[in-house]
Amino acid sequence: MKPLWLSLLLITTLGITACSEAPPQVHKAKLFTLGTLVDISVLHQDEAATQQAVAIVESELAIINRQWHAWRDSPLTTINKQLAQGETVTIDAATYRFIKQAQTLAADSNQLFNPTIGSLVERWGFHSDDRPNSAPPTKENIDELLKQAPSMANITLTETTLSSNNPTVQFDFGAFGKGYAIDRAIEQLKQAGIENAIVNAGGDLRAIGSKGKQPWRIGVRHPTSAGVIAAIETDGDESVFTSGNYERFFDFEGKRYHHIIDPRSGYPANNAISVTVIHHNAATADAAATALFIAGVDEWPQIAQQMGIDKVMLIDEALTIYMTPQMAQRIHIEIDDAQSKVIGNDG
Amino acid sequence: MTRADYCAVLFAALLLPYLYISQWTGSEAGVAASIMNGGQTTQVSLAHDHTLEIDGALGTSIIKIEDGKIRFVASPCLGKQCIHSGWLQHAGEFAACLPNRISVAVLGEEPRFDSINF
Repeated sequence: MKPLWLSLLLITTLGITACSEAPPQVHKAKLFTLGTLVDISVLHQDEAATQQAVAIVESELAIINRQWHAWRDSPLTTINKQLAQGETVTIDAATYRFIKQAQTLAADSNQLFNPTIGSLVERWGFHSDDRPNSAPPTKENIDELLKQAPSMANITLTETTLSSNNPTVQFDFGAFGKGYAIDRAIEQLKQAGIENAIVNAGGDLRAIGSKGKQPWRIGVRHPTSAGVIAAIETDGDESVFTSGNYERFFDFEGKRYHHIIDPRSGYPANNAISVTVIHHNAATADAAATALFIAGVDEWPQIAQQMGIDKVMLIDEALTIYMTPQMAQRIHIEIDDAQSKVIGNDG
Repeated sequence: MTRADYCAVLFAALLLPYLYISQWTGSEAGVAASIMNGGQTTQVSLAHDHTLEIDGALGTSIIKIEDGKIRFVASPCLGKQCIHSGWLQHAGEFAACLPNRISVAVLGEEPRFDSINF
């Protein structure tokens, strides 16, 4: 009889070889839409059905892009014109659901997620696909807009009508629309019978199912240098959203100005450099990542709790990583010498 | 044990570290890049240094490949965020000139991540 260790050695050798079977083929599609690049990964046995589902998603995203575009002529810009004139707008069921969800998220975030500051965002020059490196608005410009204080609290919403008691309300759903679109895309894929997929729109994503026997592995890009800062394995149906000061910005006279505007100050928020959120609903994750970025180091635990977000990672200028306990359990930090603090959701 | 058994043990013992290294570790460095221009995608090798001029929606973007890395060096957009992205080297790294509808993503033999969040 051969020694036991010989058998073990051979079994281990065979085990390593067996575990290394080729990974399942993932169908990849890339689309330029929603003002960004949308990357769809699908693991499904029927290639034709996958292609058909991706075409449906492409069509759905194009519709959403046309509906909610904040600066090209769209149904949204028409709504903004009507609200500016004090008119009551007639809306359909889908618009009601969209605005209702945004209004709830705005209230839960103490209006830090504020999709009514379209005029301020426009004044900063971010109502453009390609902002030039030109001067930021003056302090007088900003103060004038801040005095008007538009918020979702100004909105009166019924299932068929929308009105505002503040004519300076101008919707810009840039911090919510991408999440909403990703949710719709995932719904379309599910309806087509696809159970394993990732929809990634410009770096924010929702994943369903898994990659065969493995979970989907997500790398979170380092906010200040190349490579990733952390890895996340998704669990079932989850969205991973990050708001960072490196996504959209312009430089003027040696200073960088990014696109996440604090509705309280009127200037780009500066109490964090990135915030990553995990939540099952992409629209909620989208709004929460923005609100928590604006909340910054001091306020994020309270706002996260109010918004029902339990998985948060915030990185500040010194690259200190703050996390909820639930995020700490889920995320693997990929850099050496990271200084991280785990903070309870109750603050 | 017979001489054949000893040979089998020696072979397996030598094979183990090779299999472990080849199957469970794996370099993150990219071997090729995918360049998307509008709806068209092409793959380029990162093994040879060269410069590509690609006509996009706004004009010509210039993409450079050097020492296994790739980057935008010129683009007709105003913000130049594609150029600020710098060199891309590892599988999954990505840069795009959205106004010109051109994107570059580094491909690997087996990328560590299925998707990148940023």
